[in-house]
Amino acid sequence: MNKDKTLHKDIRKDFPILSKKILKTKDLVYFDTAASAQKPQVVIDELNQFYKSHYSNVSRGVHTLSVESTLRYEDARKKVQSFINAKSENEIIFTKSATESINLVAQTFYDKYMSAGDEIILSLMEHHSNLIPWYFLRDKYGVVIKFANITESGEIDVNHFESLITPKTKIAALTHLSNVYGSKIDEKISSICKRNNVAILLDGCQSAAHLKIDVQKLECDFFVFSGHKTYGPSGIGVLYGKENLLNEMPPYQGGGGMIGEVTTDKVSYAELPAKYEAGTPPIAEAHGLGIAIDYMNNIGIENIINHEEELTKYAYEKINELDFVEIYGVGDNRNSIISFNIENIHSHEVSSFLDVEGIAVRAGHHCCQPLMKHLGVNSTSRLSFGVYNTTDEVDIFINALIKCKEFFIK
Amino acid sequence: MNDLLKELYQEIILDHGKEPRNFGECETHNKSAHGHNPLCGDKVSLTLFVDDDDIIKDIKFSGEGCAISVASASLMTEKLKGKKLSYAENMFKDFTDLVKGSEDSLSTIDEDDSLYALKGVKDFPMRVKCATLAWHTFKNALKE
Repeated sequence: MNKDKTLHKDIRKDFPILSKKILKTKDLVYFDTAASAQKPQVVIDELNQFYKSHYSNVSRGVHTLSVESTLRYEDARKKVQSFINAKSENEIIFTKSATESINLVAQTFYDKYMSAGDEIILSLMEHHSNLIPWYFLRDKYGVVIKFANITESGEIDVNHFESLITPKTKIAALTHLSNVYGSKIDEKISSICKRNNVAILLDGCQSAAHLKIDVQKLECDFFVFSGHKTYGPSGIGVLYGKENLLNEMPPYQGGGGMIGEVTTDKVSYAELPAKYEAGTPPIAEAHGLGIAIDYMNNIGIENIINHEEELTKYAYEKINELDFVEIYGVGDNRNSIISFNIENIHSHEVSSFLDVEGIAVRAGHHCCQPLMKHLGVNSTSRLSFGVYNTTDEVDIFINALIKCKEFFIK
Repeated sequence: MNDLLKELYQEIILDHGKEPRNFGECETHNKSAHGHNPLCGDKVSLTLFVDDDDIIKDIKFSGEGCAISVASASLMTEKLKGKKLSYAENMFKDFTDLVKGSEDSLSTIDEDDSLYALKGVKDFPMRVKCATLAWHTFKNALKE
């Protein structure tokens, strides 16, 4: 742990919010990175600097500020491209959120490749953002949605998934890393999709800041993630799509910036990536995301992964020693996220109790109501780690959990 | 133990959270509603029998949720049984004011009241919805 402790002492200084006191006395222990990551000083400073010195609209004017803004916006796209190893920067579309990215794919993929009766495969542990855009298609157009089962250990049941595929299956949309279990998708699933000519969208919201992402190795057709969970600003999401698909699919929204030529009778569309970026995009947010990617690269993605793996393992073992706590999902395939319940105590009580101790954990259904139903629970508590967390914080958490149980169950 | 938590989880709250009163469904009812907090998944179903004089003769609830939401529903049913609807509506307003921290102009709830035990919620703004779920469900049931 020594190596990590040194690494993380410095890293904690990068995040000003970590010095905040909760209720004026308690050190903040931030275990809610899966909901949103905190921001390093460099991202905060760069956003400030961008607005102070370089800001203008992008891709429109010829004046100095327009050029400075556009350069930074497009530079962010290159950083994202290299961050997830996309073949071309044309494959990187900036959206307002990962949710918007999925809605974009659902609508435009349907328009080009699907019709009533065609099938989509999701899993029972998808986030609502990877359910509802597809439900829209079911309700509007009569496509069929099938759900892949989840195993005891919290992973998609690969055999069941494969058995759901028919000649009518057009796309599968699945979480790359579960926001409840922290489990990573089995890579076999992409090959199964490829073999059966089924497109695959991976929801990378939980993985982008916690795993090495290589969209070519993942063999996915679409990959989405959000800026705010990767130490960048809120208000920006990313859509990666294979260039041939993005070229074939129709535009999503109409507006400025996505056009080729407009007359009173007709319109032609811009080339990629502008075709999918109607309206003024999240300019400063894209720049901020680029800086956040630089920040992660400077620490080293491998170092981040190693640290979080050790931390997750440490926390898992410590929590597992508490006989009054149930952890959801088992096994080693667990990355930076642990969901649990204390027997007979609702997650709200746990979260309020921990909050008073300075500890931020998520309580509730995690936007995964179908999964909660599958687990037979109303809600869970979840701790999730970021690069800035330490084993000392885990110890504080464990002590608080014991106090919490004693408080509610006398 | 932290004072805020002691204030939030008074004995009466923990007691009603664990062993809710008036849990179930009224044998005969003429008003009902389902309440749901989509943010956290808490649910409450409420049935009432209101007589011709607008008196709440019977009221029961069922559902699942945290101690605050269950205790609040349980205390509410105890309080509302036997009350006239117009009075109950004033209690609704007073209760929502109380848990939001404005307790100056309460006309139906005083410090000796069991509902007063939920005052501690005001220091946990994210829990206000837990405490008011049953009351909003009650309000909806009256709209029928």
